[in-house]
Amino acid sequence: MTEVLAARARQVARAGTGGVDLDCDRQSTSGSVSQRACTFCGSRVVLYPIADAIHLVHGPIGCAVYTWDIRGALSSGPELHRLSFSTDLRERHVVFGGERQLEESLDELIARHSPRAAFVYATCIVGVIGDDVDAVCRAVSERTGIPVIPVRSEGFQGSKRKGYDAACEALMSLVGTGDTAGIPRHSVNLLGDFNLAGEIWIIQEYLRRMGVTVVANLTGDGRVDDIRRAHGAGLNLVQCSGSTTRLAQQLRQAYGTPFQKVSYFGLDDMAAALYGIAEHFKDPEMLDRTRALVAEEIATVLPVIDECRADLEGKRAAIYVGGAFKAISLVKALRLLGVRTALVGSQTGTAEDYRYLAELCDPGTVIVDDSNPAELSQFMATEDVDLFIGGVKERPMAYKMGVAFCDHNHERKVPLEGFVGMANFAREVRASVCSPVWQFTPRRARAGRSGTTAHTGRAAAGAAIEVMC
Amino acid sequence: MRKIAIYGKGGIGKSTTTQNTVAGLSEMGRKVMVVGCDPKADSTRLLLGGLAQRSVLDTLRIEGEDVELDDVRADGFAESKCVESGGPEPGVGCAGRGIITSINLLEQLGAYDDSEQLDYVFYDVLGDVVCGGFAMPIREGKAEEIYIVASGEMMAMYAANNICKGVQKFANTGKVRVGGIICNSRNVDNEYELIDHFARELGTQMIHFVPRDNDVQRAEINKKTVIEWNPACNQAEEYRRLAMAIEANESFVIPKPMETDRLEELLLEHGLLAA
Repeated sequence: MTEVLAARARQVARAGTGGVDLDCDRQSTSGSVSQRACTFCGSRVVLYPIADAIHLVHGPIGCAVYTWDIRGALSSGPELHRLSFSTDLRERHVVFGGERQLEESLDELIARHSPRAAFVYATCIVGVIGDDVDAVCRAVSERTGIPVIPVRSEGFQGSKRKGYDAACEALMSLVGTGDTAGIPRHSVNLLGDFNLAGEIWIIQEYLRRMGVTVVANLTGDGRVDDIRRAHGAGLNLVQCSGSTTRLAQQLRQAYGTPFQKVSYFGLDDMAAALYGIAEHFKDPEMLDRTRALVAEEIATVLPVIDECRADLEGKRAAIYVGGAFKAISLVKALRLLGVRTALVGSQTGTAEDYRYLAELCDPGTVIVDDSNPAELSQFMATEDVDLFIGGVKERPMAYKMGVAFCDHNHERKVPLEGFVGMANFAREVRASVCSPVWQFTPRRARAGRSGTTAHTGRAAAGAAIEVMC
Repeated sequence: MRKIAIYGKGGIGKSTTTQNTVAGLSEMGRKVMVVGCDPKADSTRLLLGGLAQRSVLDTLRIEGEDVELDDVRADGFAESKCVESGGPEPGVGCAGRGIITSINLLEQLGAYDDSEQLDYVFYDVLGDVVCGGFAMPIREGKAEEIYIVASGEMMAMYAANNICKGVQKFANTGKVRVGGIICNSRNVDNEYELIDHFARELGTQMIHFVPRDNDVQRAEINKKTVIEWNPACNQAEEYRRLAMAIEANESFVIPKPMETDRLEELLLEHGLLAA
């Protein structure tokens, strides 16, 4: 039995129990230690992979420190983004205002690093003391000749999602300021891929083979000058549904650029994404090239997947990630490996995302929005999962519960996107799930069975969820 | 040590009244410290003879953490101790946080310690309690007696009533009480009766009626309190009476702020709105 806070009763459901209609996209319940990050953090994770810009956090030092290099976003060139700059606001700046500190910091950083642009992230306290960040940015921009862009994530606005909006607004102010001459018709922008482990290079290579030019990466391995001319691309590809769908909508409205929601995780979704692009450009030759590419890539990775599935068939997994779009791809990818999803959730999914997940998953699958360690730990036990797929905040939970773990977030070092990524995923999941170490964890040891044998006495699908009053 | 905060509408004469009252108490041999809680830092200039003194926050800003009590506290008329919190220029930063920082620092530096042998500390606070920072002087352990400066003008009474709402909140959870309304006369018709009635309606008293007298302005031009400038004049005597009334005061209440309708009725009763 799993206990759920009364206020969260409408954020937890089971697939196959009638219409799943989660009450999501709301502020986290107090008393529930949400796995979500703050508004400022949301804006920073979206923008910070832009590698040739200064990213200056206007706030107390902690805001910059705790988000420092939060995504190990890789760059093929400059690595300015991996330095964490802060105005280091102290009490005296709170009392007397922090505008001068901001201006001096910008002047110093721009002189020292000659960036192509500077992003200034406003933190909560900046909204309280009322620093005119816009005016400072404008003045420094005029003086230095580079775009200095305020990111409006100040003042206790709400959840991480609000930060995504602030980031999109900042990007919109940069797009449209560059020359689009020479951009071919068959061209795209990559939205919502952050190149944590070189994923964006895999996708770029596929696109190159198809004959599609990438104008700008938003924002993995991103460059300011590319983003300035992003409005010249023929199509926007939106990978991370949570963070950049809004940007795609704004680009469509402002420049008429159509967009497609895509996922590069798993064989099905990866192939569907590439076919979607070829179909969009209505180029028969491109479609042929795409077919050849997909066939070749799948042929390469399928033996790996078959081999891993032999060991994984019948295992159960829990998924808790930032965006629901990734969760959907993971359910499908796991299915290909013979793994059933027993729990799936996200920090920022929408009601529509969860309805789709409920249809996609087997009956009995628990679906959660904005969950917390207590719930996730209990579900891990009652659903008796063999694998947890999540991020840095879920890793220790899984290990404490004696459950295999696959990091599908900021700390990745091996890419999971593309066809090759699916093979990497299969190998990684097998290595963790089939590790002999799990038989020694108290939970499995008590039950007298190893982590690799077939489960007996597993909790029946639909084990009780108790709402705490 | 009695801990007193003076509140009231902006421009009503809080700083003038506070300093003249402190002059009266000091003249009686009481040991008094004044803490100006206004970013403009003009709460002690009459006691100091116009001497510009460095505010606590400016000192902190310039000297860093290494501040001594004598860096921020100066001796004024009749050995009164004068401190200015200071704060940012209008429109930037957070003046409220400044007040909190400043009072915390004074405590750390021992400004309130028994060894200082203070009889009184007076907090002279910015016109309106605009945020939590300006309520700092009436939080637990700080000021315990509030005097509100008002006149018979409607906006002054309106502000005084609002201040009572703020005090009520803190009074219910702590020791802070209202000691009375100081009427700083603007020569409004029936002003004495009106403020006397207003004070009683709030559950408190009009502790003194300070008549309007140009000697106050004359003393200010000379950067002095009235008592220092001309100890024999009538207005000096008025401030001595106010000081004595505060010294003798035993009425400390949780105020009963009124609804705006009732406040307007009160003005009508005393014939102010008739015209």
